[in-house]
Amino acid sequence: MDIDMDDVPMQDAELTPTINEETSINDHDDFQDIEFKPGSSGIADNKSNKPLELNSTNINQLDAWIEHLGKCEILSEDDVARLCKMAVDVLQFEENVQPVNVPVTICGDVHGQFHDLIELFKIGGPCPDTNYLFMGDYVDRGYYSVETVSYLVAMKVRYPSRITILRGNHESRQITQVYGFYDECLRKYGSANVWKMFTDLFDYFPITALVDNKIFCLHGGLSPMIETIDQVRELNRIQEVPHEGPMCDLLWSDPDDRGGWGISPRGAGFTFGQDISEQFNHTNDLSLVARAHQLVMEGYAWSHQQNVVTIFSAPNYCYRCGNQAAIMEVDENNNRQFLQYDPSVRPGEPTVSRKTPDYFL
Amino acid sequence: MSTETTESKDIYPLALLMDELKHDDISNRIDAMKKLDTIAIALGSERTRNELMPFLIEVAQDDEDEVFAVLADELSKFIPLVGGPKYATLILPVLEILASTEETLVRDKAIDSLNNIAHELSQDQLFNDFVPMIDRLSTADWFSSKVSACGLFKSVIVRIRDDTLRQNLLALYLQLVSDDTPMVKRAAAKNLPPIIDLLTQNPDLSNNHDWDYISNMFQKIINDNQDSVKFLAVDCLISILKFFNTKNGSAHTKDLLDSSVKLITDEAWRVRYMAADKLTELASQFVSEPSCLNSLVEPFLSLCEDNESDVRKAVAQQLPGFAKILKTSLSETDFVLGKIIPAVQNLSMDESEVVRASLALKVTELVEVMTKEEAIDHLLPILLNMLKDEFPDVRLNIIANLKIVNDSIGIDLLSESLLPAITELANDVNWRVRMAIIEYMPILAEHLGVDFFNQQLSDLCLSWLWDTVFSIREAAVNNLKKLTKIFGSEWCRDEIISRLLKFDSQLLENFIYRFTLLTALTTLIPVVSIDAVNEQILPFVKHLADDAVPNIRFNVAKSYAIIVEALLSGEDKDTNKALVKDSILPSLEKLCSDNDFDVKYFAGESIKKCNELASA
Ligand SMILES: [Mn+2]
Repeated sequence: MDIDMDDVPMQDAELTPTINEETSINDHDDFQDIEFKPGSSGIADNKSNKPLELNSTNINQLDAWIEHLGKCEILSEDDVARLCKMAVDVLQFEENVQPVNVPVTICGDVHGQFHDLIELFKIGGPCPDTNYLFMGDYVDRGYYSVETVSYLVAMKVRYPSRITILRGNHESRQITQVYGFYDECLRKYGSANVWKMFTDLFDYFPITALVDNKIFCLHGGLSPMIETIDQVRELNRIQEVPHEGPMCDLLWSDPDDRGGWGISPRGAGFTFGQDISEQFNHTNDLSLVARAHQLVMEGYAWSHQQNVVTIFSAPNYCYRCGNQAAIMEVDENNNRQFLQYDPSVRPGEPTVSRKTPDYFL
Repeated sequence: MSTETTESKDIYPLALLMDELKHDDISNRIDAMKKLDTIAIALGSERTRNELMPFLIEVAQDDEDEVFAVLADELSKFIPLVGGPKYATLILPVLEILASTEETLVRDKAIDSLNNIAHELSQDQLFNDFVPMIDRLSTADWFSSKVSACGLFKSVIVRIRDDTLRQNLLALYLQLVSDDTPMVKRAAAKNLPPIIDLLTQNPDLSNNHDWDYISNMFQKIINDNQDSVKFLAVDCLISILKFFNTKNGSAHTKDLLDSSVKLITDEAWRVRYMAADKLTELASQFVSEPSCLNSLVEPFLSLCEDNESDVRKAVAQQLPGFAKILKTSLSETDFVLGKIIPAVQNLSMDESEVVRASLALKVTELVEVMTKEEAIDHLLPILLNMLKDEFPDVRLNIIANLKIVNDSIGIDLLSESLLPAITELANDVNWRVRMAIIEYMPILAEHLGVDFFNQQLSDLCLSWLWDTVFSIREAAVNNLKKLTKIFGSEWCRDEIISRLLKFDSQLLENFIYRFTLLTALTTLIPVVSIDAVNEQILPFVKHLADDAVPNIRFNVAKSYAIIVEALLSGEDKDTNKALVKDSILPSLEKLCSDNDFDVKYFAGESIKKCNELASA
């Protein structure tokens, strides 16, 4: 276990539900080392002008990939290229504010913890029988970012109306070079090609979703430059996550106990108070803002008098934070239920007991 | 990739490999190394011997551990590539270098490959090349070579028929056992049991001199001042005992018994733990010497009262095995009631929940050494108490292993305490505990019989269908199917399906429960009568075909295919064909023009299946 945990403080859940998981993208100067030209993977070179049509050939292909990925085995580089090309032709037609029907199960950060994603489906039920909405941060931190993001993208292409995958602040070229996805691609494929394909694909992910016109879902939070949902619809989202501006804020901001807008300790996005959330929900006739992005010890946490909920779906985050994970089921009558869960039990990984005798000191 | 690369691979394989092994990026070098066998095939065996192997000797001294590990692995397949066993010794020098590296992973792979190659070497090759290599590694300055050497003796020890040569090897091994560094001593102690086991399998090979060496080695290990070496003596001792039991020699029995007692009562808990963990296997070596077994009873009881909970946890699982050995070998029997049961009693109330859970895994096996009356009077009270343990794993382990008790004393005496324990576990907050209880239901059903089950457990089985966790609902559905296989279709119809169809309509306002009900009924189709399918299941499924939630509609489509399969495989095939045509296909066709893609897709798949079934 040699992951660098310096920036993951074991924080006091009562005082700050926040975990300052990353410093600002602006603070990092080490990006220049690696060439990252958006679009250089070529996955979007031959975009279609209409959504991907599923037929028996590509359905069989996708079903085979999903079965393979379900065993936590990576696809070949060529298959990732095929998958990403298909995904572009699904995702480019989704909206900045993707409409989602109830019933749906809403999930937060996964961060490459593939086995815990499988546990999530054991708790919430398999897709497509259960509809899912994931609010970003599929990659970085965990050891299986490639498998996790490949699996979710394959599900998205196979069942576009059953699963929605939003963009998180980690679905970005810059962040993934610091927090693990880039290195993992290099290690598992021997080159940065797969990383280029996925980060090119991330540009097409929708940035928010609207569940039954009542729950506004996004990775981070609100932006001082966005008062109405229609303003989100007008953004040009197909680009690398910018360092500032409304799109950046939606992926980076956090709710805060202090009212009004505040400077985010993350160095990107803002903090926003209850007054802001209440106003936003009122203006847009919403019942709730659902977001992810912050470690919460119980897996979910209400804030701003139930105007905002945080959902976090990576149990024992980074394999050491000791937190529970949660998902939120919204049924067809808009009743909500939270399901909490613990890390998956993996064979060969015994639960640590006090003073386990070490046979091979 | 491009055809260019493929072609050049054929023409300049070695140059290409050399080039790729110079690559700055380690992942390229690893990939290149993984293709080593392909390159050797392209080169042919002669050039592999003359050019590739010398080159690899250089590589093995100048790269990183990840590359070395792949190289060590690849070389195990190399005998055919260098031209067969007669050239196999050419592979040894590279592996010898890798066996001396500091990284354990690389060394382990090198040792595995060397041992694989050793199988195919002739006596002469062993004598002239392999043994001298062992010798060099064993006497090297650096500990890593010596550690590697320890893993190689097992490949040669019984293939050397010459007594002097073999004893020279044992003398060399004794040196390793007596080394200054703990790493070498540990490796030597760990690799000793397989060497002794080989001598046991070839009992005529060794003589007393061999045994002087082994006995010397054992004395060194058991008297080592480091716990991490000493605790390996337990496995060595078991191997030694097996050897003498094979040889029928009892001259050493007393000494070996003393060693056993010494290990069981050692001051270091790690050593006692190891002895406790292997107790049954150790004791079973003394079955022909009842007096020896008797001398083990007190040390055994002291393990049950050990200060360290890990030791008690280990010995708790050995109790029934140890009791069985005593029971078969000793004529007097009161030790079970006099010694074992009091120890079990104490362990069942141990302060550590882990110890109690460990005991619970095996304790039921004690019925095998008791009469029915003894079990009822002495074991049952302990089991009933453990069923009330505050730690769920204890209860779960008892319940999961009750079958053997049922067989001996019947379920009636157990049931009164069993039910509260089951009900409590059925509502445990940990869903995996609930899961374990559900999985135990079919076994319980078989033992309790249908009347008892209907009265006491069927409500519980139905209640799991409404659990918040999907996997529990799924397990609950599968449980109903298993129960139906046990109790029959009539039972399912009256006790399950009828009750499912009468369920609270408010509950069904949530699609999750409509989905669960649909899945439950669909899953039951293959195990119930056609009448039940026709009269109860089909109407419900049809009624869900208009559900507002698309997930329900496409599962209705899937369900139809299973219904049709059942209808068309039964006796009234022709009547049912009409039913399929008039009532199921129209509904499926309607779903085919649904506005949801997935509903359309799965309806289309089901229609295909139905047509296949109808024309079959
Ligand atoms: Mn985030």
